[in-house]
Amino acid sequence: MRAREADWAGVIDRDGVEIYYEVHGDGDTTLLLIPPSPITHSGIFKAQIPHLARHFRVVTFDGRGNGKSGRPNDKTLHSRTENVNDAIGVLDATETDKAVLVAHCHANWWAIELIDAHPHRAIGWVAIDPGVPYLGRPQQHWLDTAATFDEMLEDPQGWELFNRHVITQQHRRWIEFFFGSLLVEDHSTKQFEDAVSWALESTGDVLVAGEEGADFDPPSRAEFEAMVREVEVPVLVIHGTEDVCQAVEKGVALCEETNGEIVVIEGAGHLTLAREPVRVNRAISKFVKKIEGKVVTHATWTRGLNRRKKALYVSSPIGLGHARRDVAVAKKLKTLRPDLEIEWLAQDPVTRVLEAEGETIHPASEWLASESEHFVSQTSEHDLHAFQALREMDEILVANFMVFQEVVEEGLYDLIIADEAWDIDHFWHENPELKRGSHVWFTDFVGYLPMPSGGDREAYVAADYNAEMIEHIARFPRIRDQALFVGTPDDIVPETFGMDLPKIRDWTEEHFEFPGYITGFAPPSERDLPGIREGLGYPPDEKIVIVTVGGSGVGRALLEKIIAAYPLAKVRMPELRMIVVAGPRIDPTSLPTHPGLDVRGYVPELYRHLSVCDLAVVQGGLTTCMELTAARRPFLYFPLRNHFEQNFHVRHRLDRYGAGRYMDYASSDPEAIADAIVAETGKVTDYVSVEIDGAERAAERIAQLI
Amino acid sequence: MRAREPDVQGFVNRDGLDLGYEVFGDGDGDGDVTVLLMPTWTIIHSRFWKFQVPYLSRYFRVVTYDGPGNGRSERSTDPKRYSADSYAADALAVLDECSIDRAIVVGLSLGAPYGLRLTALHPERVAGLVFIGPALPLTPPSPERMDIARTYLQPYPADVKGWGKYNVAYWYDHFEDFAEFFFGQCFNEAHSTKAVEDSVRWAIEGGPEFLEAEGQERPASSVTTEEMLAGLICPFLVIHGTDDLIHPHSTGVEAARLGGGSLVSMGGSGHLPNVRDPVAFNLVLRDFAGGLSR
Repeated sequence: MRAREADWAGVIDRDGVEIYYEVHGDGDTTLLLIPPSPITHSGIFKAQIPHLARHFRVVTFDGRGNGKSGRPNDKTLHSRTENVNDAIGVLDATETDKAVLVAHCHANWWAIELIDAHPHRAIGWVAIDPGVPYLGRPQQHWLDTAATFDEMLEDPQGWELFNRHVITQQHRRWIEFFFGSLLVEDHSTKQFEDAVSWALESTGDVLVAGEEGADFDPPSRAEFEAMVREVEVPVLVIHGTEDVCQAVEKGVALCEETNGEIVVIEGAGHLTLAREPVRVNRAISKFVKKIEGKVVTHATWTRGLNRRKKALYVSSPIGLGHARRDVAVAKKLKTLRPDLEIEWLAQDPVTRVLEAEGETIHPASEWLASESEHFVSQTSEHDLHAFQALREMDEILVANFMVFQEVVEEGLYDLIIADEAWDIDHFWHENPELKRGSHVWFTDFVGYLPMPSGGDREAYVAADYNAEMIEHIARFPRIRDQALFVGTPDDIVPETFGMDLPKIRDWTEEHFEFPGYITGFAPPSERDLPGIREGLGYPPDEKIVIVTVGGSGVGRALLEKIIAAYPLAKVRMPELRMIVVAGPRIDPTSLPTHPGLDVRGYVPELYRHLSVCDLAVVQGGLTTCMELTAARRPFLYFPLRNHFEQNFHVRHRLDRYGAGRYMDYASSDPEAIADAIVAETGKVTDYVSVEIDGAERAAERIAQLI
Repeated sequence: MRAREPDVQGFVNRDGLDLGYEVFGDGDGDGDVTVLLMPTWTIIHSRFWKFQVPYLSRYFRVVTYDGPGNGRSERSTDPKRYSADSYAADALAVLDECSIDRAIVVGLSLGAPYGLRLTALHPERVAGLVFIGPALPLTPPSPERMDIARTYLQPYPADVKGWGKYNVAYWYDHFEDFAEFFFGQCFNEAHSTKAVEDSVRWAIEGGPEFLEAEGQERPASSVTTEEMLAGLICPFLVIHGTDDLIHPHSTGVEAARLGGGSLVSMGGSGHLPNVRDPVAFNLVLRDFAGGLSR
């Protein structure tokens, strides 16, 4: 799922070539984002668009040759003039009189020709990793390969792959070499996969035509330098020092010649906008705000000792489990620190819990892109590749971090409590100078574990993510002021972070504190059970089985399988009654029915029903399984396929408690499920007790910081 | 020891009186920008800018000078030397002496009306205007200060308390005690002992006769404060402590509104946020001045 969909989109026809464009936001100033097509398309700006569109109006388009635009093969249709006219056509189609041009790589050559030919259409120019001729030093490998571009090479290697025949016949080989070379930064697997996939939306023939078209009728050095000197709009150059596509000297020279300003990113390669999105986003918005000349007319700064104590609580919105434990921790924290105000930056479905609890939700919460919907969008029949879904969420994480950072810079919080708020922890380690307030990090698992189905590549990528996290913590121990593992050391899986990396348990024990498990409620005692059951309308002579798949739309396939098993079990256990909770996203009337089977949409205080049932049938999510464990109920759990957390981390923890019966979704047919239901219903459990003071112990540790 | 010694220290003779000025930095940092830090009520002198000078002079040329009743300047008891017009002429003389065409003019408390007069008379010399806790008659004074105008020249009662000490006769008898009271009001933030001590020391470098002279000069100007504010064409910023007991925060709000300027409110600050909250204050001032340097 994209972090932000276009408000509107359209296509213009430029002499038979379609150009697709998008408009995001409605700010006073328009930014035109120009991708360096045809090697990529507007996707290259995915980390910029959601942030910039909150402040400005953003127009972007797929350049000719890639994305949703046409694919002319003829090199004359890839001239600089054609590309400039595409940009002008998009400005016209979007009724944009003037715009700040934001261009990457060689699209900056088009930008300057646009400014030269249409000076009244540009009010500023952001040149990211600019590829412009003559200025700075040329890269030697480009000079070398220009000489052999047309040759039929015996065994081309390295930069020799920049060759007409290689590009047209082994397109992917060139693309993978090229982006592999550009991404000099460690831990760039996701940016690499993105860039390669966008490039491969086009073809080698189109790419060659694009390369040739770009150089048509080039200006002389003197002409070009005159053009640069005549730029009158404000210029911002952003350039990485390790750029192997366009040397940083180009950016420096462009900045000097245009009397502009420059943000040099030390250690960054050519894709600064993808690899250092936070720094790039902040530089662009600051620059454009300066052009807008809008001064803040009223501001308040409050003396330190006059400030109220404030915390911002950020609760992971993926599932509802975090909401309940976070509310429990917040309540304990408020009893320990009555003068502490807690605000929540949260999104649906967490906000439903918070509203019901009367908590204060920060208004910027509405700007957050939905992580929960993203996870639903990544799910198919009882299958959620959680690690890959998290990787695909990169764009949402940048967008939401930018919102978060603005909130903490305004809000003067003493304390930031982040429960698996991955964006905060990751980007504060990537941009440590942005940290505001003490940072409490909560998680209930440590370590991405590859699913066997992902093969070597997934093992490599998971280890790479783990290595990055380990390096973050080692390099900047000051970012996490408190790291709390929700559980005990025994809950940690006996695995390593990957090849040549430490054991997860050793590392976690060294870097976390362990307040114990945090339940959102106290489970009922055996003595209270009959009364609660009666209150909920469950007669003592019935065996109550509750089937629930949580609040997402993910569970339909599982519900249908369980319902099919019901009649088989009912024959063998006539007192069996089954309550199926469809949840908010599945229509209860769309599910089959049987006598003795209730299908319900929403059950308020479901945990109370679960805490007195004779059997529960659930997915493998931690919170629900642990609620059942705490209440000592028998249950069957079906981890989502390919969900590393449910299959490894949660399962390991449940095994430690001796709780629940693991069920494999794929291999369990209705007969097998009916067998399990009959065997487990009403069984007396001997689970290890779940600690009930976790929220208090966590709150005590947090309170030390405030 | 001062954190930053002046690069130039001199005197300019304006209409028979030597005025001490100091110049810090060469203004080459963020473009050629000069910041003129104006004198305020003559109960203190230019050292009250001591937390601003070292920082600002790394970015801009900073000029300070003392008015005709304190610091390094010659003393005058002539009330006419204390009019807004006279202060404007002094400031202009300092700028001329230093060959400065234009400056960002920063005035605290009474420095605000002096800076405003300078701007109204010589708009071409003022690149930007900043007020801090401006002493401008735009909103009613606080109830505690209501009686000052009436009792100021009267004999004071034996059990005089509080703002009753704002009284010429009392000044002559108990100048230091008055200064301690007054700066206690200025620095109403907790933990302000050092700020009060500094200010009292600067106060006794001057004396009651100069405050008396300054107090006598209340000419009806041909132009009102409102008119001068409405006529501002330069960038304009007001900084005002929300807890200012000398000139209420509402005055700063009104000044910013009338002058079409920006307002930075300093939550919990008193009358001299540049002294008690120097870091936040310096950042705001540099932001403003830096924005004018391009």
